[in-house]
Amino acid sequence: MLEVQNIDIYRGETQILWDVSFRINQKEIVAILGANGAGKSTLIASILGLLHPVSGKIIFRENDISKISSHAITRMGIACVPEGRHIFQDMTVLENLEIGAYSKRARPSLNKNIKWVFDLFPIMNERKNQLGGTLSGGEQQMLAIGRALMSKPDLLLLDELSLGLAPKITIDLLKTIETLRDENTTILLVEQNVEMALNHCDRSYILETGKISIEGTAQELMSNDHIRKAYMGI
Amino acid sequence: MNSLFFMYLTNGIVMGIIFALSALGVSLIVGIMNVINFAHGELYIFAGYISYILSVKLGISFYFAIPIAILTIFIIGILIEESLIKPTYGNDMYSLIITFILSIVLQNFALLVFGPFPNKPPNWISGATNMFGLFRYGNQRLVSCLAAIGIIIIVFLLIKKTWFGKTIRAVSQDRETASLMGIDTSKVNMLSFGLGCAIAGAAGVVLAPIFPVTPLAGVEISLIAFIILVIGGMGSLWGCIIGGLIIGIVQSFGAAYISSGYKDIFGFIILILVLFIRPSGLFGRKAL
Ligand SMILES: Nc1ncnc2c1ncn2[C@@H]1O[C@H](COP(=O)(O)OP(=O)(O)OP(=O)(O)O)[C@@H](O)[C@H]1O
Ligand SMILES: [Mg+2]
Repeated sequence: MLEVQNIDIYRGETQILWDVSFRINQKEIVAILGANGAGKSTLIASILGLLHPVSGKIIFRENDISKISSHAITRMGIACVPEGRHIFQDMTVLENLEIGAYSKRARPSLNKNIKWVFDLFPIMNERKNQLGGTLSGGEQQMLAIGRALMSKPDLLLLDELSLGLAPKITIDLLKTIETLRDENTTILLVEQNVEMALNHCDRSYILETGKISIEGTAQELMSNDHIRKAYMGI
Repeated sequence: MNSLFFMYLTNGIVMGIIFALSALGVSLIVGIMNVINFAHGELYIFAGYISYILSVKLGISFYFAIPIAILTIFIIGILIEESLIKPTYGNDMYSLIITFILSIVLQNFALLVFGPFPNKPPNWISGATNMFGLFRYGNQRLVSCLAAIGIIIIVFLLIKKTWFGKTIRAVSQDRETASLMGIDTSKVNMLSFGLGCAIAGAAGVVLAPIFPVTPLAGVEISLIAFIILVIGGMGSLWGCIIGGLIIGIVQSFGAAYISSGYKDIFGFIILILVLFIRPSGLFGRKAL
């Protein structure tokens, strides 16, 4: 579904990603794991068209999207739950969800998708007239996921789902993500919480200072000594 | 309380609403794009001039002259945004300087084309109304005030209820995330700059029958708009309404009970007081 081919990414003068390649197949949860500052969010920004690679390609369903602007990429069926959630604070929960369905492909099924999100996260229905900024951290994360789902994306990017959330809430959300995969949404999960992510993904890549160092299935990585030492403290 | 008090109050409220409308367009543009449009007052007077030419020189009824004038300013606004503002994105200082220069260019253009004398489209309505048996108040002012209220309500509905309004609010709150929702943020910039200018134009056509336009009349309009902007809080629409009312009422009472010679100073005094108490303005930032 998504194939990243040898991209080099700069922020200003500084190179952040070096020759990064990976692929995500349809109906897979792929996790990109790495420490603070490894370049995970930069990778997400590149897929979303917020940054453009100086070399390499990003192929989404046969199209090279590496030079397309972010609003056009979203309209092609990629949605994202950004790091730190980025809820529209002064808009209500309902308005946040509606704006998630802004793209033309999503608007006709707006009401159906709102119902779908409310079924996934009933608390959103209770809070629907509350301003986004007044929600708790966990609720904001649900809202960010719901808002992304409103566009009925084929590919969902999740940046640091666990950030600032209690482990139980994170695990519940990850279970929801697994349900979404089973319903045919493809998922890219970016995490520094390695152990938790490996428990809920199919395949994974390790990103170390801007380069992919290891890749494999979740099982393979969980039994990899280097990863157990460096990331799981075992 | 005598009837004079109520007359000053009425006048203050009417002027306040009119001021609020004159500031609404700049406020909208600041809130969405972080661009301060110094040419705001000049767009206002150009709308006044256009409605004057259409109705006085060409004899077109004001029902048509008004929408044509507003539409023209909307299109001019979009052209300004595409040609002058777009290249400055990311540098607020450049856009400030450019709109400042534009305002001077437009003033001189107006002077060349229309001459230094005041021009005034005909009143929509004549006569005066007896207010609650206390005093008589000019009908044109009342009607202009009602039109201003109508325009303000339309702008609020547009922003609170429509898809376009939602995209405007999303962009003003978090531009990057808005683009991740599929919103073309440069297009939103273009349209909202046009809308801001169109509101300036609407204020111009509504007020030109009361305050005839001169090439320099825009300066005072801009000045009051910026005072209101700072008092109400940059980019806050409610702040704009409240700020306008405060200035209108204080000016009216100040002119009546202290001295009409100091009329313009009252605004600055309030401005300084508000900045002392709440530097971010009464409604803070970003509450579109
Ligand atoms: N806007 C920016 N301008 C310049 N450098 C940046 C910018 N954002 C991030 N960087 C740098 O890019 C590198 C990678 O940052 P990135 O945010 O992609 O890391 P990350 O893996 O997402 O980290 P975290 O786990 O803390 O979210 C870091 O060295 C960071 O300092
Ligand atoms: Mg990050």
